[in-house]
Amino acid sequence: MSFEISLMPMIQFINVQKIYTGAANCVALDDVSFDIEEKDFVSIVGHSGAGKSTILKLLYSEDKPTSGQILFNGEDITLITSKQLPRHRRRIGTVFQDFKLLPKKTVFENVSFALEVSGHTDREIEESVPQILEIVGLHTKMKSYPREISGGEQQRVAIARALVHRPALIIADEPTGNLDPISAWGIIQLLLKINKLGTTVLLATHDKDIVNNIKRRVITLDQGRIIRDHSKGRYAI
Amino acid sequence: MWVLLKRTTKSGFLNFYRNGSLSVAAVSILTLALIIISIILVLSITANLGLKYIQDKLDIRVYFKSEVTESRILEFKSEVSRYKEVKSAEYVSKNEALDEFKTNNADKPDILKAVDAVDENPLLASINIKATNPEQYEVIASSIENSAFKQDINSINYRQYKLVIDRFSTTLKTVRKTGLFLFILFASIAILITFNVIRMTIYTHGDEIEIMRLVGASNSFIRLPFVFEGIIYGVVAAVISTAFLFPMIKIVTPMIVGSSYVSVVQADFSRYFILIFLVIVLAGILLGTISSLIAIRKYLKI
Repeated sequence: MSFEISLMPMIQFINVQKIYTGAANCVALDDVSFDIEEKDFVSIVGHSGAGKSTILKLLYSEDKPTSGQILFNGEDITLITSKQLPRHRRRIGTVFQDFKLLPKKTVFENVSFALEVSGHTDREIEESVPQILEIVGLHTKMKSYPREISGGEQQRVAIARALVHRPALIIADEPTGNLDPISAWGIIQLLLKINKLGTTVLLATHDKDIVNNIKRRVITLDQGRIIRDHSKGRYAI
Repeated sequence: MWVLLKRTTKSGFLNFYRNGSLSVAAVSILTLALIIISIILVLSITANLGLKYIQDKLDIRVYFKSEVTESRILEFKSEVSRYKEVKSAEYVSKNEALDEFKTNNADKPDILKAVDAVDENPLLASINIKATNPEQYEVIASSIENSAFKQDINSINYRQYKLVIDRFSTTLKTVRKTGLFLFILFASIAILITFNVIRMTIYTHGDEIEIMRLVGASNSFIRLPFVFEGIIYGVVAAVISTAFLFPMIKIVTPMIVGSSYVSVVQADFSRYFILIFLVIVLAGILLGTISSLIAIRKYLKI
């Protein structure tokens, strides 16, 4: 039995369809199936509206698919109840284009906040937060406020916050969208470093240069369908 | 669990503190509602105490004609004691009645002289009857009037108390009715205002709540600070209302009870202070919690 589990992919999308009903019925994902292995680094690329963000939202259960199954470590997360949601979210770290930092909290507090709300003790917080800030290279700016540091640094704080409860998967939705090319590449290198340390990374982006430089698996989406899935892919639309 | 409670109460306090004038508004209106509930409580308790005091003094006195023998009167006493409405019956002989009269009028030498001047004791022997329930005096009196002892009885004295009891009962009922109405009215307004204050807090914490959800904060961790905020409004309002309470008792008590009873009632009152305080605090907590639960249910989507 344990042999079978170890062979199971970390994430499985099985015939997933997502239709947003409303004024205009919009098919965001159309019969999408793919697997992601543990410790993989996967980029999801495509134009705006191709369905990248929808895949990520379904993964951290912000939304439910119209049909199909999504397995996370073998568990169907489309069946998750609101009570089970926090436990699921703690297995996943999320990073967004707009950083989502709290302006009135310091760098340290922004990161520790994630541990506080998930019930870690003060002692655990005192230990973990400086370690994580060291990994993202911000241990000298623990007492700064978000407005006092650069965009690239703010995104590093967001990554630290996503990492601090040691999730198995990091989801990054256009994390470099607001950054200059140099800072952007710095963030990607940080994500690659985190991946090397054993965390699965799922990156949604439409930055061609970045995808071509990573040289890892690329899933290409167009109008809600997977049109390419290459293990050493390039950005080609 | 302990960490959860510690952090969520802390956030609740911070919300309360940072809301500034909004908190003042919520606390003021809650205080008003609680003051109304304390007024009802104080009036009810005062009236009840007054009623109890008067009821303790109440009795029926059955006066016997002077020619009736003591044994006949005692016979009456034992019969009356068998009535189920009667709590106690006590025989007061002519001499005892005279002694009682003298003690009651000790400061009126003219009257005492007049009594001494009469050779024979002018007072009548009587049986003092206390009912188990003050409303039964009328029943007892009519039973006695229709009994075999009717011929021996000079007079039955009870009707003058009926007025007092009626006055008290009516006051009590009116107080409770208008009080309840006012309480419901102000409690509704208080809930409405507190609920809106908490709704504002939820809105201003939108970003924080979004991040909490993303990093996997439990639902209770997201909700509890707002519940505590509501509870804090209630408790602060309860403490302020209680500060109004004692001066209020001093003013209200003489209005509701005749002045001769005031000291008795007020002395008794202090025993109820803890009870009233607890009721007010509980009412405050209840109002605050209801307000925050409504706001959370309507505006905090998890």
